[in-house]
Amino acid sequence: MVAVAGKTYPAVRFDIEQERVAEFARAIGADPEDGVPPTFAAAYALEATAPQLFGDEDAAIDFGKLLHAEQEFEWHRHPRAGETVTSVARVASDASRRGMRFVTLETDTSDADGALVCRSRALFVVRS
Amino acid sequence: MSEQRVTFTREQIAAYAEASGDHNPIHLDDEFARSVGLPSVIAHGMLQMGIAATVAAEAAGGPGRLRRMSVRFAGMVVPGDTVTFTAMPAGDGRIEIKAVNQRGEPVLTKAVAEVAP
Repeated sequence: MVAVAGKTYPAVRFDIEQERVAEFARAIGADPEDGVPPTFAAAYALEATAPQLFGDEDAAIDFGKLLHAEQEFEWHRHPRAGETVTSVARVASDASRRGMRFVTLETDTSDADGALVCRSRALFVVRS
Repeated sequence: MSEQRVTFTREQIAAYAEASGDHNPIHLDDEFARSVGLPSVIAHGMLQMGIAATVAAEAAGGPGRLRRMSVRFAGMVVPGDTVTFTAMPAGDGRIEIKAVNQRGEPVLTKAVAEVAP
């Protein structure tokens, strides 16, 4: 395992499709008429980029021992269905303590004008 | 205060997997889940956070008002578990969120949202 703190992954484009937004809203008990649910950031920020970390041979994360421990989203605005956004992930920290590894993945999602829409911070713990 | 009581089902977890893009088999395949030491499939922590955000949005006066939200995933949720989500305005634009299962155990801790002024 190589500590990958500071590593940035290539930008990922994500189309916010109305149908998928509605499906997501129903799954979390929200009204699909209320627009894109704030935590749809799980799709356009987190799921768009976390596989880059999990598939990174340098990071060598054992997916079977991975726990999602904490999650934070900061919204600068909430995107609308039909928008295409771009997410860029960076390993904000990667440290081992007491036999466990703590990796923070920070993902910035921007709109077509390059304005920040959302920042996601995910803390993953890898048990040894 | 806003409150929602949700009994989790395999169908809801599968629907969330599809919509979120998180197809980790620990959420979808009982046999796989048991092979990694889990009692059965478990709900996505992000599904719990999503429901908590829906309840927080009610307390905030609409989802568009949420500016920040953070949670710690403190306990696993399996199909059949009933979780009570509550969101309570705590002043200064903060909303405190609780998510507690049918045994009184918190499944989310340090759960808080902030709303636009």
